[in-house]
Amino acid sequence: MKIFKKCLLAGMAALALLGVAQVASAQETDQVGRAAYLDGVKGKKVIFVPISQGMDLNQAWVMVWQRHAARYGFTLEVRDPNGDTNAGIRAMQGAIAEKPDLIIVQNPDVQTYARLLKQAQAAGIKVLQVNMQSATQTDSYVGNDWIEMGRLEMGELAKHCTGPNAVSHKVVWLAGVQTGAANIYMRTGIDKVLKANPELQLVSDQPADYISEKARQITETVLQQHPDLCGIMGIWDNAEVGAGAAVAAAGKQDQVTIVTNGAGAATGCESIKNGLLDVIFNFNAPVQGEIAAQQISELLQHPDRKAGSEKTIFFGPITRVDKTNATGRNCWKPEDIK
Amino acid sequence: MPGSGKSDDRRLGFKASQEVVVVAISVVMFLVFSATLNNFLSQGNIIAILKNVSILGTLAVGMGFVVVGRGIDLTMVAVMVVGVAFSIWISTWGIDFTLAVICGAILVAAIGLFTGVMVAVAEVPPIFATLAIASSVYGSGRIVFASDVLYAPPDIAWLKFVGNGSVLGIPMSVVIFGAVAALMGLFLRKTRFGRLVYATGDNPNAARTTGLPTRPIIVTQYVISALIAFTAGIIMTGLVTGIDTRLYNSSLIYDVLLVVVLGGIGLSGGQGGVRNVIAGTILVGILTNGMTILNFSYTSQNLIKSVILLGALAIDAIINPRDEQTSQSGDI
Repeated sequence: MKIFKKCLLAGMAALALLGVAQVASAQETDQVGRAAYLDGVKGKKVIFVPISQGMDLNQAWVMVWQRHAARYGFTLEVRDPNGDTNAGIRAMQGAIAEKPDLIIVQNPDVQTYARLLKQAQAAGIKVLQVNMQSATQTDSYVGNDWIEMGRLEMGELAKHCTGPNAVSHKVVWLAGVQTGAANIYMRTGIDKVLKANPELQLVSDQPADYISEKARQITETVLQQHPDLCGIMGIWDNAEVGAGAAVAAAGKQDQVTIVTNGAGAATGCESIKNGLLDVIFNFNAPVQGEIAAQQISELLQHPDRKAGSEKTIFFGPITRVDKTNATGRNCWKPEDIK
Repeated sequence: MPGSGKSDDRRLGFKASQEVVVVAISVVMFLVFSATLNNFLSQGNIIAILKNVSILGTLAVGMGFVVVGRGIDLTMVAVMVVGVAFSIWISTWGIDFTLAVICGAILVAAIGLFTGVMVAVAEVPPIFATLAIASSVYGSGRIVFASDVLYAPPDIAWLKFVGNGSVLGIPMSVVIFGAVAALMGLFLRKTRFGRLVYATGDNPNAARTTGLPTRPIIVTQYVISALIAFTAGIIMTGLVTGIDTRLYNSSLIYDVLLVVVLGGIGLSGGQGGVRNVIAGTILVGILTNGMTILNFSYTSQNLIKSVILLGALAIDAIINPRDEQTSQSGDI
C-alpha cells in the first residue's frame, strides 16, 4: 500500500510540475534587453544628407536603413542635395534646425560641413558619417579605410608594374574630387606604396571628377604621351569604365591594368567581364549599410549620452574582385537588397 | 543683313579679326606644345585632340545655331543626358535599342519644341526659359531613373561602331562631328531658312515687321539644337558605353558657350557661323590637351577656361558694341 501511495504522490507531483511548466510556457518569454532596445529606437527621427542618391552605394545604404527603420519603428528621411554642395549646406542647416535624434551624413569633402557637424553636436544631435569623412570627427564613422584602399590599389599596380616582365613602371592615378576625403586619404596610401617602390613612375594624377567621359579623355591623352603605360588606378568603377574604353580603343587591354574601387554593384562586375576593368576593390555597399544600421541602433539607444562624447570608427570589409570572382554577392543588384 | 553681303564692312572686318585672333592663338599654342611636350605632335595625339572635342564641338554647333538667331540654349546638356538615359531606360523594358533611340529622339524634339514655344510665343527671355527648362528636364530624369549612370545594352553593333569605329583612319565620333558641322554650315549659308535665321537674329522686330515667320524659325532652332544635343549624347554613349546624367552638374554647358563665344559668334545674334565654332573648338581642344599633358588639376583647368570665356565675352562686347539699334531690338 505504502508503495502505491508513494507512486500516487509522485505521479501527482509530476503532474503539478507539468502544470506549472505549462503555465510558465504560456507566458511570453522576452529576449533579454529587447524591450529596452525597441523602446530606445521606436519613434526616433533620423535624417540622412547624402552627396547624391543617384549613386549605387547610396541606393544600397538607404534600402538597408529603410528596412531597418520600418522593422523597428523609427523614421528615416533622405534630404538629397543631388551633388550640389550649396544645396547640401541648406539640407544640413535644415536638418539641424529640426533637431532629429540622429543625422547621417556623407560629406562631399573634408571642409564644407566641418562647422555644421560641430553645430549639430552642440545642439545635442548625434552624427554618423558614412564613407566620406569630414575634418570634424563625430559620434561615429562607418565606411572605407581609405588609406588602406589607396595602398591596396597602388599595391596591385606595383605587383603588375615592377616585375621583370612589366611593360614599364608607368602608372596613372585618376582621382575623383580632389578635396574629397576619399581622395586625400587614398593619396596617403598611394604615397606609401610609391615610397616603397621607387621605380614606379606616377606619370599623371588628374582628377576625373567621377565622370567617365573625363576619365576617357585623360586616359586617351596620357596614352599618347606614354604608349608603354602599365597601369591605371581610379576611385569609382562607374567613372573608370571611361579609362577602360580609352584603353580598349587603343587596343592595349592586355598591356594596361585598370584597378579601381566600387560599391560592388553588378554593373562593376559587368565592366570586369567585358574587359573594361581588371580589378575592383569592392566595399560592398549593402554590407556597409548593415554595419551603419547597427551604428544607428547603437546611437539611438543611448539618448542620455551626450552627442560627441564618444567617437567610434568602423571600417567595412574590402574584397578584391577580378574575373575569377565577379559573381554572386560581389555583384549585387538593387532588387537583391529589397 | 550681316553675313549676306558687304552691308557692314567695318563689323565684318572686326569679326574676321576675332576669328583670326582665335586661329592665331591656336597656332601659337600648337607650336609651343609641339616644341615643349613629348609626343604632342603625333598623329595619335592629334586624333585624340579631335576625338576629345567631338562631343563639345557637336554641342557647340547646336548652340552656335541658336546664338546666331539671338537665342541661347542652356538646356543642351540636360537634354543630352536625359534623352539618352531615357532611351537606355526604355530599352531595359525589352524594346529594341535602335527603336528606343528613335523614341528618345522624339522626346528631345518635343522638349526642343516646348522650349521654342516658350521663347518664341510666350516670349520668355531665352536665358531664363532655357535655364528653367534645363533644370526641369534634368529633375524629371532624376526622378525617373534611379541611377545617375546608365549603361547601354552590350553588343549593339552600330553603337560600338560609333564609339570605336573609324572611316579612313578618322574616328567615327570625329566623322559625326564633321558631318553635323558641314550640314549646319550648308544649312545656314545655302538655304533660305538659314538666311532667315540670320535675319531674325540680327533684328527680330525688323524681321517680323517685314513679314518673316520669326516664331516658327525660333521654334525650329530649339528643336534642331535639342536633336544635335541628343546626337552628342549618342556619341558619348558609344565612347564610354553609358551615359552619366551627372554631367548636367559639370561645367560642360559653359564649355559649349566658351567655344561659341570664343569662336566669334556674337551673343547679340545675326552673325558668325560654323567656321567660328570650329575655330573655338580647336582652340579649346588644344588648350585642354596641353593642360592634361602638363598635369594641371581639373579646378585650375576650369579656372583657366573661365578666364578665357570672360575675356572672350569682353572682346565680344568691344567688337559688337551695344548701340541704339541693338538696345531697341533687345538682347538675350
